[in-house]
Amino acid sequence: MTRETGPPGGDPENSRSEFSNAPARGRNRIPVRLLLQFSWRNLWRHRRRNGILLSAIAVAVAGVLLLNTLLRGMQYDMMNTAIDNLTGHVKVLAPGYLDDPGIERGFDTPPDWQQVLDPDAVEGWAARIRVPAVIMSERETRGIQLVGIDPEQESISFLHTAAIEGERLTGRGDRRLVIGQRLADDLATLPGRRLVLVTQGADGRTREAGFRIAGIYRAEMSLVESAFVFTGRDALQDLLGTGDVTEISVRLADAPREAETMAALATAFEDLDVLSWRQLEPQAATMVAFADTSIYIYFLIVMGALVFGLVNTLVTAVMERIRELGMLRALGMRPRSVVAQVVTESSLIMATGVAIGIAVAGGVFSLVADGIDLTAFDDSLASFGMRPIFVPVVEATDVVLVAVMSLALGLVASFYPARRAVKIKPLEALQRR
Amino acid sequence: MAEEVVTCRRVSRTYAEEAVPVHALCRVDFELAAGEWVSLAGPSGSGKSTLLHVIGGLDQPTEGSIVVDGVEITGLAAADLSDLRLHKIGFVFQAYNLIPVLSALENVEFILQLQGVGRAERRQRSLETLDSLGIPELADRRPGEMSGGQQQRVAIARAIVTNPVLLLADEPSANLDTATTEELLDVLRNLNRSRGVTIVTATHDPMVMGYTSRQVNLRDGRVVTTGS
Repeated sequence: MTRETGPPGGDPENSRSEFSNAPARGRNRIPVRLLLQFSWRNLWRHRRRNGILLSAIAVAVAGVLLLNTLLRGMQYDMMNTAIDNLTGHVKVLAPGYLDDPGIERGFDTPPDWQQVLDPDAVEGWAARIRVPAVIMSERETRGIQLVGIDPEQESISFLHTAAIEGERLTGRGDRRLVIGQRLADDLATLPGRRLVLVTQGADGRTREAGFRIAGIYRAEMSLVESAFVFTGRDALQDLLGTGDVTEISVRLADAPREAETMAALATAFEDLDVLSWRQLEPQAATMVAFADTSIYIYFLIVMGALVFGLVNTLVTAVMERIRELGMLRALGMRPRSVVAQVVTESSLIMATGVAIGIAVAGGVFSLVADGIDLTAFDDSLASFGMRPIFVPVVEATDVVLVAVMSLALGLVASFYPARRAVKIKPLEALQRR
Repeated sequence: MAEEVVTCRRVSRTYAEEAVPVHALCRVDFELAAGEWVSLAGPSGSGKSTLLHVIGGLDQPTEGSIVVDGVEITGLAAADLSDLRLHKIGFVFQAYNLIPVLSALENVEFILQLQGVGRAERRQRSLETLDSLGIPELADRRPGEMSGGQQQRVAIARAIVTNPVLLLADEPSANLDTATTEELLDVLRNLNRSRGVTIVTATHDPMVMGYTSRQVNLRDGRVVTTGS
């Protein structure tokens, strides 16, 4: 084989300068504007096929986003329910109280202990006595949690906002009861009537006393209504013969400062346990953590399935246009520009589908933003620590994450058809029928 | 003597995909001077299209040397061949091969965009080229809105707008009726004579051969005769 002149060199950049008398900038690189113009028009070229593909992407994205709002709603609901139901973010308890709750595991609060709390981090706190007790009406008997409270401190729990039939407790010396609606139904009683409470005093002896019902509260979960009976803290301490409390519950204004607050409380209560709501409500904590993982799992399942469809459609689209792509190569478009065109087209389809999906999800979300009424499943939901009115929650980071991950998946999916497009030689492509 | 634009020396192209190798070109020698219009003629399978394709860098010879405008193109990488086609060669295909989503003007501009020519200059050059081919009114029409002859004229405009050193046309009249073919050939003759565009056409259409300055006849992959 003879050569009259040497080849222009293996480096495409060098070879370009030999062939070209065109301006150096942007030479033989398909301009971005042309790329987008081309891709946009090609979108409209096969309207039915691209319409179906766009619909599939939009439905998948909307589905994942709506599922995310439900999972986030469930996550927030379980977390807030756990925190609202007398737990708070952080609680101080005597060691062993969780295994064997009783007044014998009460403790005295050191003076000015609350000085250790940062007012900016803490929304409020409540010191309570909580003991197991038996409550009796004329007709029925039930086992309950008898809770002595200072009503002024209960702004941190559900009791503060709960609807009450009758009257609320007026202070920590109030020697009346506030019971839940479910318990009132079980005991067949009403506000103003008397109930008898039996519990164990600090000296180990059984204490029994009659209390009048001040009011009947309604909680979002019927389990709560049947479990908790409230009275004034001083009144309960009198009954039990103690000045101790059994728990201090702290609600944070700034949840991320939980560890810092726990450390501060540990210095004030050296011999006591300082526990987070995750330790106190492990089931709810697990469900909350599971919700985070679930979002990614659902995304990967739904979008993973979609990617196969996307790749299939893109390969079909590329094969349909193989002559055209071959012609572009024949005219001088570089292989990488062909890749760029195919990738841009699929990215544009994906971006349009994602945008439609987000809009659809936003529309559906606006219809259910006030909450979904699941009262028919109240008991089942309560066992998961959820409220019967389920409020979906949108987190901007979830929307951004789904959008970015979808576009990334679309980008990855488009490289296979793009490779197919450039692997075929221009001449072969032109000769295809 | 005019400068040689294309020089082929002992160019062979063998397709070895079948059990028996097919020799599409066998040691072909071919020269093309600047300003010539040569037709490659011969029956189907004679090798005329293959010769056109190897000259245009769309196919690589299995043996031999091809120099286009001073550049040895055998063994060039795909990207380098793309550059060569973009800057030195204009193609006119049998099936027009315009981009269906672009208007005639955009199809012509497209090639200048690839070259990195600025917006104002490429618009002006594209309009001037369409005008010189007598089809300024087609500027805003898309290929689907044009006749075969009109599309082929736009394809020629696209091929010459970059002022290539060589225009390659593969069976340009194959899909056209006689009147349109004559119009098309008049356009090519005008380009060849007035602008000095060097043209190679692969054809078996006697009307096309009648317009060219030289005819190279091929048979079984070999040049059998050549003459004016």
